[in-house]
Amino acid sequence: MKKVMLSISLISTVLFASNNTSTYKSGLLLPPQADIIYKRQCSKCHGDDGKQISFKGSARVTYGVIAGLNTEDVAKTLKEYRGGVKSKDYQLLNKYGYGALMRSITKDLSWAEIDAVAKYVNGLK
Amino acid sequence: MDNKYIDKMLSQMDTELSSKGMSRRDAMKLAGISGASLLVGSTQIHAMEKDQAPIEKSGVTGKIVIVGGGLAGMSTAARLTLSLENPDITVIEPNDLSVSYQPGQTLIGAGIWGEDDIAYNRDDFVPDGVKIIKDRAIAFEPTQNKLTTAQGQEVSYDYLIVACGLQLDFERIKGLEEAGRCYSTGDNSQLHKTLGEDGICSIYTAEGATKTWEQMQKFIAQAASGKKTNFVFTHPSTPIKCGGAPKKIMYLANSRIKEAGARENSELTFYTNGGSMFGIPEYHDAVLAQFKREKFKWNYRHNLIEVDKKNKIAVFDAKWQEKGPWDPIMKEFEVISKHEKKKVSYDFLHIAPAQIAPREIAESDLGSAGGWVPVNKETLQHIKFDNVFSLGDIAQVPMGKTGGSVRKQYKVLVNNLISKMKGEPLVAKYEGYTVCPLITGIGTVMMAEFNWEVKPTPSFPLDPTVERWIFWLMKIYALKPMTMYGMLAGKA
Repeated sequence: MKKVMLSISLISTVLFASNNTSTYKSGLLLPPQADIIYKRQCSKCHGDDGKQISFKGSARVTYGVIAGLNTEDVAKTLKEYRGGVKSKDYQLLNKYGYGALMRSITKDLSWAEIDAVAKYVNGLK
Repeated sequence: MDNKYIDKMLSQMDTELSSKGMSRRDAMKLAGISGASLLVGSTQIHAMEKDQAPIEKSGVTGKIVIVGGGLAGMSTAARLTLSLENPDITVIEPNDLSVSYQPGQTLIGAGIWGEDDIAYNRDDFVPDGVKIIKDRAIAFEPTQNKLTTAQGQEVSYDYLIVACGLQLDFERIKGLEEAGRCYSTGDNSQLHKTLGEDGICSIYTAEGATKTWEQMQKFIAQAASGKKTNFVFTHPSTPIKCGGAPKKIMYLANSRIKEAGARENSELTFYTNGGSMFGIPEYHDAVLAQFKREKFKWNYRHNLIEVDKKNKIAVFDAKWQEKGPWDPIMKEFEVISKHEKKKVSYDFLHIAPAQIAPREIAESDLGSAGGWVPVNKETLQHIKFDNVFSLGDIAQVPMGKTGGSVRKQYKVLVNNLISKMKGEPLVAKYEGYTVCPLITGIGTVMMAEFNWEVKPTPSFPLDPTVERWIFWLMKIYALKPMTMYGMLAGKA
């Protein structure tokens, strides 16, 4: 048993030394890391600051400014986009025609992750 | 080996046996020879170890990493430790209570056991020399023989064993999305907050089992007071661990309702997505006869898709087939599949949630399209990567996500892994054995055992389709010590 304890403590030292959050993935039931999710899933269209309103090089595509929006509203909307049950019988939210796109981005996020992202969006200045 | 614990269980069992005028020796005779190996005392366990073919120690070396330290992972680690002269084994498992005795959750759900009876600490079952990494493996690179944990630690291996279990997917039920996905053990507060305190429950988590008993008592009292009460039990559309549990909790609820004299005002209905009660015709017939005897109602091809918590309505997707127009070319009538949403009001709703492979496995090169780890169903070797093996709930074998299956699988896996390390052909074969001690009431159990050929394969010289009191004693007293002190030591 002593040996085990020793190896556990050794491993945890190594762990803390190499604490690297870049391995984070959404949808794995890990503690949510909103900044990473935002960067990967949202920033391409909405911009790092949440103020981008068109995709670079394409004048036709437009988005709303999301920086600073109310946390609860953002969370509610994202949850509606994501939906729960996987069935054709349930109509999912399709605001401005972005339903399919937003669903593909949100479908793997947990509720906790959506809440965290909403808070992050609210904090964008 | 915790002799005190086994002695306590056995003395309790002896008390029950003697109240029926029977000694343990007689009971063992009745249960047959292989039953004897289950109903052993602590001294007899040592004797049994000697009786077994001694495990030959092999001198082969290699770094073995086991992802998941539940019953399957830990039993494998223990047996590998016994089988190798110089074991180099690492287990990756974040949950402290990963080896808890999950089969006991049905008994907790009916108030027979408490949560303490099944909670076991992983660290008490770590074989000497086995290293534990308290973290989740989240990225796999099987072509490079390495994986990465959530904390960013890279772990390389020569041989990988995937035993990470499955996740309960409550979030696909509309109305319960907030519950999210979860494991049977660990912190499930979000799930229980979502299910609430008004009749919705599930024994698929340890805490949920306790809550099931609380809810059950509440609604049995309601029925006993003269109010008509609907008890609804569901069975999902995915493979699930312990396929018998959704029925077991129904049978136990029935026992408790009868005990309270509330059966007249209670209606018990079973909604299953499948088209039969049991995959094996013999057991299907037996279960159906039990359902008729107990005056249960049942509906096939009904899948729970929505719960309206406020109005206490469960919505099922009901599927059926209709005779279509005559097809002159095929010279047959066409068969048209139809489905509709069916609303069912409930007072007490027991949910057996859909169960899925964790995303990190499903989306890695290790997972198949369905998410599970595709292995040769007999050798348990991965179909693409020959240094990867898998067992337990995550392994894609056609049958049996149960502890009983694991009990056969881990020995096969260890034998084959050592053959692989030696460069010899893999000869050990898993025959698909699985067992479902189907509790049909407080005091009776039907021991449903079967294999690939979907034929009953009873371990006892008794008709397996009959519910027996002796199997109840085994389920209550003997299977836990066998699991906790036999399997987790790599011996039973």
